[in-house]
Amino acid sequence: MANLKEIKRKIGSVKNTQKTTNAMKLVSSAKLKRTEELAKRSRVYAAKLTELLNEIAQKMQQSNTDGIDNVYFKDVQNPKKVDIVFITADKGLCGGFNSQTIKRARQLIEEYQAKDVKVRLRAVGRKGIDFFKFNGVELNDEIIGLSAAPDFKQAAEFISEVAESYVNGETDKIILVHNGYVNMITQEIREDQVLPVDTSKLELNTVSTSELEVEPDDDDTLLDALVKRYVEYTMYYSLIDSLAAEHSARMQAMDAATKNAKEMVKELNVKYNKARQESITTELIEIISGMESMK
Amino acid sequence: MELMKLEIVTPNGVIFDDKVKQVTLPGSEGEFGVLANHATLVSLLDTGVIVIDKADGDELAVAINSGYVKVDEEKTTCIVDGAVALSGDDSDLAKALEEAKELLKKTESSAAAIASAVSKVEQIGKSL
Repeated sequence: MANLKEIKRKIGSVKNTQKTTNAMKLVSSAKLKRTEELAKRSRVYAAKLTELLNEIAQKMQQSNTDGIDNVYFKDVQNPKKVDIVFITADKGLCGGFNSQTIKRARQLIEEYQAKDVKVRLRAVGRKGIDFFKFNGVELNDEIIGLSAAPDFKQAAEFISEVAESYVNGETDKIILVHNGYVNMITQEIREDQVLPVDTSKLELNTVSTSELEVEPDDDDTLLDALVKRYVEYTMYYSLIDSLAAEHSARMQAMDAATKNAKEMVKELNVKYNKARQESITTELIEIISGMESMK
Repeated sequence: MELMKLEIVTPNGVIFDDKVKQVTLPGSEGEFGVLANHATLVSLLDTGVIVIDKADGDELAVAINSGYVKVDEEKTTCIVDGAVALSGDDSDLAKALEEAKELLKKTESSAAAIASAVSKVEQIGKSL
């Protein structure tokens, strides 16, 4: 009989879990919609900015035969020092979302360390920070709260500091790693080289810009400001992208959890019924054998 | 009068996208106006107010903190960090004015540029 009671209690608890996971799924899907909207709106800005950067870079390339002579564009073949910025969520319960990013970040670290490159880590998001701290890896930056609520200003402040260390020569290359949103059911790890600007990504030699007038007259001032904005924007967009991916991952994880709970309740019900039947059979046998013995 | 396309884009979305007669921009080298068929130009924008002469004859002011403008023959694109359009009903407008002033004061530009932009915003607030 104790068994019966226990099973019943278990069914109740699994049902409660199911309610929670289902609620979390709904919350995530609502949040995902909002984040998606945010990403969509800011994508216009990204497109325009990249377009402009393209044109300016191209203009400089045309006026300068030996490539673009700017600190943000110098191509380092063998970087000695690399900064890795990676974005994880502040919260868990979203399947393999965080661990994938962490895995990729560790892979990158190993790759660079094998090449004798000094790596500095800058972490955004509590999960990533906790992981590396637990493993005794030193982190240069620990930003909590930004990945859950991306804010352009905060993102810009953070990445400007990182960019400054690039200009100062403290680092040769800045890489941004995050888990990006593809669609409702897929996320993919994205790796962006923030600085130096990846010229292979810019579509040079597409539009003629010989007539382009630039104000202030000094190309460098404009380009510097533009690259700065570009870097800030890349950071901001990655945060949004990562947040969208986080919500979609959580949605999936919670959906799976709800389904599993349902399955479990079903199994427990069968078990409960079996146990109930068993106890009835036992009781019947007891009664019948009692009557038999009285004859 | 010939019209041209004007777009104002911020990281939070497109603020303005329509045909206009003329637009006055706060360039880093001084304020300048753009009409249709302007020569190709890229300029830094300083803290200030963009004044738009809309196709229907109305005037619209947009306070911005900083950004860029790309002008070509048929289209003008402003890429700015933050922008507040000064429009709407009385209550909306009052709120927009406050927001605009807040936005302008938070920028890192020179005090003079901010002061002139804020006074401009206030002026617009009175005239509307």
